[in-house]
Amino acid sequence: MSTNQVMLEQPAAGFAPGAKRLLASPPVLKVAAGIVLLCAWEGVVRVFAPAYVAKPTGIARVFFSVVSNEQFLAAAGATLWAVIQGLVIAIMLGMAVGLAMGRVTVVERGLRYYVNSLFATPMIAILPLVTLWFGYNADARLAVIVFAAFFSIAVNTCDGARSVPLEYLEVARSFRARPLSTLLDIVLPSSLPYLIAGMRLAAGRALVASVVAEFFISIPGLGYYILFNSRTFKHNEAFVAVIALVIVGVSFEAVLNWVTRRYLPWARRD
Amino acid sequence: MGSETRWARHLTVIVSLLAGAAVWEIAAYFTTRAFWAPLSETVGSLAESARSGVLMRQAMSSFQLYLTGLGLAILAGAPFGLLLARVRVLRVALENYIMMLYATPMVALIPFILSMMGFGFAPKVLVVFLFAVFPILYNTIEGARSIRPELVEVAHAFRSSEWQLWRDVMIPYTLPFAMTGIRQAIARGLVGMVAAEFFLSPSGLGQMIMMGSQNFDTAGLLAAILLIVVLGVCLMDLGRYLERRFAPWRGYE
Repeated sequence: MSTNQVMLEQPAAGFAPGAKRLLASPPVLKVAAGIVLLCAWEGVVRVFAPAYVAKPTGIARVFFSVVSNEQFLAAAGATLWAVIQGLVIAIMLGMAVGLAMGRVTVVERGLRYYVNSLFATPMIAILPLVTLWFGYNADARLAVIVFAAFFSIAVNTCDGARSVPLEYLEVARSFRARPLSTLLDIVLPSSLPYLIAGMRLAAGRALVASVVAEFFISIPGLGYYILFNSRTFKHNEAFVAVIALVIVGVSFEAVLNWVTRRYLPWARRD
Repeated sequence: MGSETRWARHLTVIVSLLAGAAVWEIAAYFTTRAFWAPLSETVGSLAESARSGVLMRQAMSSFQLYLTGLGLAILAGAPFGLLLARVRVLRVALENYIMMLYATPMVALIPFILSMMGFGFAPKVLVVFLFAVFPILYNTIEGARSIRPELVEVAHAFRSSEWQLWRDVMIPYTLPFAMTGIRQAIARGLVGMVAAEFFLSPSGLGQMIMMGSQNFDTAGLLAAILLIVVLGVCLMDLGRYLERRFAPWRGYE
């Protein structure tokens, strides 16, 4: 009996049990996988690709000079500012339209086809049209960002406003709540989880819209920084801007997750 | 009563569509032609390009690009996603990186692809593929995480074979999520298609939009955008249908 147990507890491979557990623990595993991926990237580029192609050591070499470069910081600031401005405008307009659609049947029936079909449209398709309207400048970028973000906010807010439990509205009516307080105290809070889901979608779309607009219009921003540097074969420098974009995207996601956990703990992530 | 309300609903929809068409038509008379073209001219331009065969050729070129990219993304993403679902070590090791790539705006990689691979069909397919593959992987992993470990343990306790484990636990639990991923991939792939046609070698519907804007042919531009809108709506409906059809057992939130 006891010998059996000892046999079972013996490590299968040559590792000491502690080392084996450490190797299988998530953080070590994740870091190891990251190192393997970076090495694979470095190796593939060194063997198969021309010298200008971005590789981890190259990016690491230029990283600090790029992030302390004034031009890069201005580009990052311009993109981030445009995205935040665009998101704020899109959230305000989208919430207004979404709440109206969710609570007023006529508005919903009137706008449904337009909002749903533009929600399904890749907004970069309207980019040339927007540059006809606004010219080749930062206003066109802002407009594209707003267009890209607005519809996901409106669609989700509308879904949220329609999913308000009927009992709550009945209680509000029994207590003769005014329409405004019904809207602010019942409809808005219960559609917040949907709004957050819409904002998550909108943030991603806004970032894409900003980069595409900068490619197209050639105005300062991370997208144009990438385009310009990759055209002059400075791929390592350009890739730092990609990393900045990833950080922006991931931080939007993290902020929204944090807000959901902190203020809307009842809302499940989907 | 029932038929009356249905009539009322149809009526509002019809009124809203007619109003939209009227606004489109009338708006053109208050602006210059460089801003907006009336609906009648847009439809005329669409009919003209359909008659001359340009429309068919460009649409075919776009479809070919889109379907190749999306098909490769599904062929690569679904099996790899299922592998990650089954092999826990791989999933734990890679999930954060896949999440990061899922959040990466893939358009940012287009200039790199352009200068490394140049013009042609392959770089454009790569763009559509990159747009489409990560939603599939990401969602399949989410599905794998939703499998309660007890289920796998019970399956093992009852000496399920690998095949039975897949059939009764892994596939039913991850498929709904994979389908959500495919729905997202269908939508994102379309964005990738337009982006590739804009910024790599111009072709397809993207080229039609570009040419419309460069020649100040606003009617042609609006016609091409209208096509993309219709395409987007059809594809989104297709994605939703697939999600419901293949995974009806997933609870609706």
